[in-house]
Amino acid sequence: MSEQVFSNVKILDLTQGIAGPYCTKLFSSFGAEVIKVEKPDRGDISREMGPFPNDERNPEKSGTFFYLNTNKKSITVNLRRKEGVGICKRLLETMDVLVESFAPGCLTRLGLSKKVLKEINPRLIVTSISAFGKTGPYRNYKANNLTSSALGGAMHLMRPGNSPKKRPVIQGGFQAEYSTGLLSYIATVAALIGRADSGGGASVDMSMMECVSTTLMGHVAEYPYLGLSRRTNPFAIHGYPIGYSVPCRDGWISLTPGIGGAPNIPLLIDRPELLDDPLFTKTQARMAEPGKFDGLIIPWLSNHDKWNITAKAQELRLAFTPVLSAGELFTDPQLKAREFFETTSHPQLGKIASPGAPAKLSATPAHPGKAPILGEHNREILGKYGYTQKEITEWRQSGII
Amino acid sequence: MAHKLLNGVRILDLTMVFAGPVSTKILAELGAEVIKIESMQRADVFTRANVYPENTPGNDPWNRGCLFHSLNAGKRGISLNLGMDKGREIFKKLVKKSDALIENFSPRVMENWGLNYEQIKKVNPRIIMVSISGLGHYGPLRDYYMYVPGMEGMSGMTYNTGYPDEPPLLSGCAYGDWVAGANAAMALITTLFHQKTTGRGQYVDVSGREAAVCHIGDIVMDYVINGRDRKRIGNKHLQYAPHGCYRCRGDDDWVAICIETESQWKRLVQAVGKPELVENKAFATMQRRLDNQSELDRIIEEWTVRRDKFEIMKTLQGLRIPVGAVLNMKEVNLNSHLKKRGFFQLVEHGEGIGQRPIPTQIPAKFHGFGKFALKRAPRFGEDSEYVLGSLLGMSKQDLARLEEEKVIAKTPAFPPGKPTRLDLIEKQQAGFIDADYLDELKKHFGAEIG
Repeated sequence: MSEQVFSNVKILDLTQGIAGPYCTKLFSSFGAEVIKVEKPDRGDISREMGPFPNDERNPEKSGTFFYLNTNKKSITVNLRRKEGVGICKRLLETMDVLVESFAPGCLTRLGLSKKVLKEINPRLIVTSISAFGKTGPYRNYKANNLTSSALGGAMHLMRPGNSPKKRPVIQGGFQAEYSTGLLSYIATVAALIGRADSGGGASVDMSMMECVSTTLMGHVAEYPYLGLSRRTNPFAIHGYPIGYSVPCRDGWISLTPGIGGAPNIPLLIDRPELLDDPLFTKTQARMAEPGKFDGLIIPWLSNHDKWNITAKAQELRLAFTPVLSAGELFTDPQLKAREFFETTSHPQLGKIASPGAPAKLSATPAHPGKAPILGEHNREILGKYGYTQKEITEWRQSGII
Repeated sequence: MAHKLLNGVRILDLTMVFAGPVSTKILAELGAEVIKIESMQRADVFTRANVYPENTPGNDPWNRGCLFHSLNAGKRGISLNLGMDKGREIFKKLVKKSDALIENFSPRVMENWGLNYEQIKKVNPRIIMVSISGLGHYGPLRDYYMYVPGMEGMSGMTYNTGYPDEPPLLSGCAYGDWVAGANAAMALITTLFHQKTTGRGQYVDVSGREAAVCHIGDIVMDYVINGRDRKRIGNKHLQYAPHGCYRCRGDDDWVAICIETESQWKRLVQAVGKPELVENKAFATMQRRLDNQSELDRIIEEWTVRRDKFEIMKTLQGLRIPVGAVLNMKEVNLNSHLKKRGFFQLVEHGEGIGQRPIPTQIPAKFHGFGKFALKRAPRFGEDSEYVLGSLLGMSKQDLARLEEEKVIAKTPAFPPGKPTRLDLIEKQQAGFIDADYLDELKKHFGAEIG
């Protein structure tokens, strides 16, 4: 195995669902030892999420759980029992990071207050991931991926350029969750780097609502500079009423005519006589009459296939690309050449592929792995931390692990 | 508020528009020194000279664009002509003094300048170099010409976004650009940790499309496990119902509600004044509610449509039900929770623009590290004296000569600035304009704005 970035970093992972586990997945992919603490009976809630093979529920066969928990070690600990909290405390003595996704205040109620954690390990970094963070008027509100996307502002913009007052729709999948996991990872690595200088511990308080708002980038700034509150995508606002999906014979094409013009579109659609038409030379002409523009290109696109359209358009330096389904990713020549998907073997799922690393690091690549069986590492981890086989057996019988 | 975690880290930033600047803004907020290097011929027109304060381009539009200000606060900026030998020589001197370099040109550009990783490494063996592109720096499609619709579209994300009977929907906030940029920051900070512990650098190849695929991993897994190619499902959830976006009182006002448990369901039917629904067989279990959710959505909307979205949020949150008002861009800026959390920092932009709130790109509240306030984004070529003078030891005369030789510049070759076509935006309803925005912001932040 190649060199690992975090070969000396240990993380106790008290998260479940998507955001927290995605944060710690990035750590485990880059070599950190991530010890995932799960509830003894059911484990992480994402074990109930599916997709399951043939839709038959099985906590060891959830595709979502698998994807989010590769390379982690699973121990089962009942945190409602003081012996269970005691196990966490002993583990925390040697940990670098604790990542948790409980509701604010919950960790303290479990007996793991800031003060206690500092006593156990003064150099510990505690990353807390919650819907709204630990402070502020919404801190005790309930939330999830949908309602955070709404409050964060991203959902308001989810309308097509040609019907901007339509009912907003959520971004596909769980984008509030993934964004939060990614930013929590970045903040935690930053704290690890900062800790090397400061010598002390630190805490990081993450809020899913804010993580959604941050994805708005400069779009949210149009209000304080201009008084503009937009309802749709940037292409619809700044003179390119495009950037939507246009139908073609075998699916959809996404297109952006180009910043400053799209002079070659008439050549793509075999209508060279339109080369000087303002619709193709002036963004504002397109913006004023988006329907007319569509009317000219859709008939040609409808008679051609997405990859063929893309190949011809790319030759003409046009930013036309196919809209791909998840399944179509597996035949995409670029992903194939880059060996994007990784394949590992799981005792219950068998040989299984999953999306690989979000970035290719030449010296320390993320490494593929499999998700743990519930409690798979109980004996290994607890043994390593000085618990006897007898204690482990007793705890199992009394439901502590 | 920015935090001092990456003290002494220097990053050269050759990126433009959204994705790259997001990545370096994150690092700047974490305390790294980011030096933005801009070309005068091909500077960042899309963000530098677009969306002006009070819709007034002014005489130096390139220093006034709000998209640029919000994504580049906290960075230094110089101009440098990398098309000239002299420009590249200076650039290499900066490479020697830096920890990382990040770029988002099309894959051939750095190579053509003789500045690919192998060549950069010879100048500084411990440097990290990050390249951001749509499809990655190698592979048969690497030269595809694309923007954010391409990255989202080729990832499976667009195909899975929108209503089932409508076209796949592009995100409204150039989300794919954010994903590319935030993942580049992820890679950059990971490799910085490695560099700090081992002293070694490396090359990072970020494909925005691949990063986007990682953000729909759960959807991809259904294809892997069941060969089932998922399609867009609107606002639905595969496990929970109701799970939707409902019209409220007002012109374009909505609320998102999601019921995850039986007890939440029982509380919801009380709240909407339909306690009899608990007895209704069509909604007796989560599965039944999933099967009959169109009817359920209709019933809920009958209740929401006559109420204010914030009032609904208050009522249902009081009953411990996950609910969120759909905030528009005005409401995000004026949100009390975000204000209390310090999500926006008021940044003084200088004469003619004044103070404006700038959103954070890494919304983490750290305890245990020092804080500092971000400085406004650099004016074009603003930091020549610091970067070329203090860091590289050049004299004022040297800088004057470089300017004469067009190696550096104080103004970019930009077309005249144009106001945003607010008339078209209003006509097409692509957004709404609030004439009182400066007063609203003043009241909200309790500070001078503008």
